[in-house]
Amino acid sequence: MDSELTYTDALEVSGLTRAFGVRKALDDVSFTLPKGAFLSIFGPNGAGKTTLVKVLTTLLNPSKGTARVCGMDVVRDAVELRSRIGLISHNPLLYADLTAEENLLFFSHLYGVPDPERRVRDLLVNVELDHRRLDVTRTFSRGMLQRLSIARALLHHPDIIFLDEPYSGLDPHAMDILDELIAQIRGEHTLVMISHDLTKGLELCTHALILADGKVVLQQPKTDIDEGLFRETYRATVGMGVA
Amino acid sequence: MKRMTIAKIALALGGVLTTVAFLMAFLWASPSSYADGRVDFAQKIFYFHVPVAEASFLVFFFTALYGLRFLMTKERRFDVKARIATELTLFFVLLTMATGILWTRVEWGVWWQWEPRLTTYFIMTLLVVAYFVLRNSVEDEEKRAIYAAAYGILAFLDAPISFFITRWINSIHPVVFGGGANSGLESNMLVTFIIAQVGMLLLGYSFYEMRLHEEEVKERLEALKVSIGG
Amino acid sequence: MGASSWQQFKAILHKDLVMEMRTREMITSMGMYALLTMVVYQIALAEAGDSFDVRLVMPGLIWVAFIFMSLLGLNRSFVHETDQGCIDALLLAPIDRPVIFFAKFVGNLIFLLVVELLSLPVFSFLFLQGREGIANPVWMLGVVLLGASIGISGVGTLLATMSVNTSGKDIMLTVVFVPLMYPLLRAAVGATFAVVIGGPASVFMFWSWMAWAAGFDVIMLVAAFGLYEFVIGA
Repeated sequence: MDSELTYTDALEVSGLTRAFGVRKALDDVSFTLPKGAFLSIFGPNGAGKTTLVKVLTTLLNPSKGTARVCGMDVVRDAVELRSRIGLISHNPLLYADLTAEENLLFFSHLYGVPDPERRVRDLLVNVELDHRRLDVTRTFSRGMLQRLSIARALLHHPDIIFLDEPYSGLDPHAMDILDELIAQIRGEHTLVMISHDLTKGLELCTHALILADGKVVLQQPKTDIDEGLFRETYRATVGMGVA
Repeated sequence: MKRMTIAKIALALGGVLTTVAFLMAFLWASPSSYADGRVDFAQKIFYFHVPVAEASFLVFFFTALYGLRFLMTKERRFDVKARIATELTLFFVLLTMATGILWTRVEWGVWWQWEPRLTTYFIMTLLVVAYFVLRNSVEDEEKRAIYAAAYGILAFLDAPISFFITRWINSIHPVVFGGGANSGLESNMLVTFIIAQVGMLLLGYSFYEMRLHEEEVKERLEALKVSIGG
Repeated sequence: MGASSWQQFKAILHKDLVMEMRTREMITSMGMYALLTMVVYQIALAEAGDSFDVRLVMPGLIWVAFIFMSLLGLNRSFVHETDQGCIDALLLAPIDRPVIFFAKFVGNLIFLLVVELLSLPVFSFLFLQGREGIANPVWMLGVVLLGASIGISGVGTLLATMSVNTSGKDIMLTVVFVPLMYPLLRAAVGATFAVVIGGPASVFMFWSWMAWAAGFDVIMLVAAFGLYEFVIGA
């Protein structure tokens, strides 16, 4: 990886709108997130959480407004930005018929990771999958897929990692391992997590955001959060149902 | 509003011209070439078959053009325009097929012939129908517009290739049945033909504008509904 | 750090080849389809018996089989990208979209050519024996296969990227693909016919048909290449 990026805010979102025709998936969303923070995004289904993450990870373009991730614009600097972003989704984003090792090697080649074999081995050891590295991922359990998915996201030393409901579908043991891994990586990375688990999300985060109907309902650093009030707002918002 | 007025004028004018051309075709232009005075229907149909064929191709160009503009700008209005242009293309293509079938029957005695124009327009029918099938099978609006634009462009590029290849085939193995009505247009035939062509284009334009207006009204209605909270 | 486009192209192509060799999904289904089609052809031609030279219709029948076989393959080539959401992982990487197109295009082309080259001798064995066999040199058939498959794979890769995201999936691919392929298909049949039947003008006809195919390939491939960026991001 080349030079250290200098930026203070990992995310600078301003007036972000994504609409086609009449319906707005995102409506004038604005917030900032300092470097090294952990943002939990909450909201009902259809609130625009996944859309927001997709825009921030350059998978979708905004219709209006701007977003800067790690100091880079999501539209203008998209290609360069992609090498700084990692995504962990509830989909494993792994090829079922490739082995764990082959999967990671493939992605390292896409990202141009130097000394890929070593990096892949190190990561596999880190996520405790080294003993299964020659097995095709079709044979993996959900928890193992999630761990491998984290390895994939970390291959290229991203600055910021997005997690889209990473705990969904995991058994308690797998959740523990995920907890451990998140604890490990949060020090060196900025994390943004979408979660339906209010407790978990609040516990892990340093900043929280509630989205509903494409709009920001609440946005606070954890220190300012009155948990009771937060839960109220959350319940009220989610109770609003689908947009 | 002004655009609607122009559209209405175009509709009226187009309707008049087409009717005039129709009358001219049967009463004035090049009286019967048969010795016993029978009317040469094939030739009469020709005055409408070729104009609608050319109109459909012209409108199809707009499908591709607006598709391209949509891809460049991602502005929804271009997708609406492209879709309406394609609807119009379908209308004209079906007319082309209908008149073409009639013409074939009268000219050659069979209902269908794989001659260049009919073959090409048969393919075009399939392309245009495929365009709509594609549109209908995509839920997300923006994705639908992008896919439709891409397919519209490819389809528009494909149509002339189909036409020229079938024409080339025809030149290699000429269709044995009689010469086409394309051969040499005398002046009165030419005038009728041009009037029919212009009439068709005006009609096409007016249909397009009216459909566009209809879509815009629908959109405003949608926007109102959403703002009320429907 | 940063991978060159060539390295990324190689990585994707390599991945697709490895996956296919491991599962043999595409080649098996395409190969089976070709064989089954031959059985159906036998049934279709059974009553006609010896009354006509079956070589007259064989070029057309071969290309019917190949077209529908390629639809199968094209469809499958994108299924595992969308199944696991892997396409997002590809799009997240710092890779130019056209590189993805080329890698997929070449991969599909390779699979298509492999099955075509394997099934053509079988077709020939079953239907083109007797009379004078194949009149013109066999390498000309190779040219037709290559010329047509390039067009099929190029346009097909773009269309399959779209159709796999629709509710119709493989039916959708068929509906949008076949009309678009008409000129190429016609040229392929014409060229194959010229090779099989031979005759004094056949070499000229062969190259004329191939010129049409080449023209189609160039125009449609450039268009597909330009449009891919928009389609894959959608």
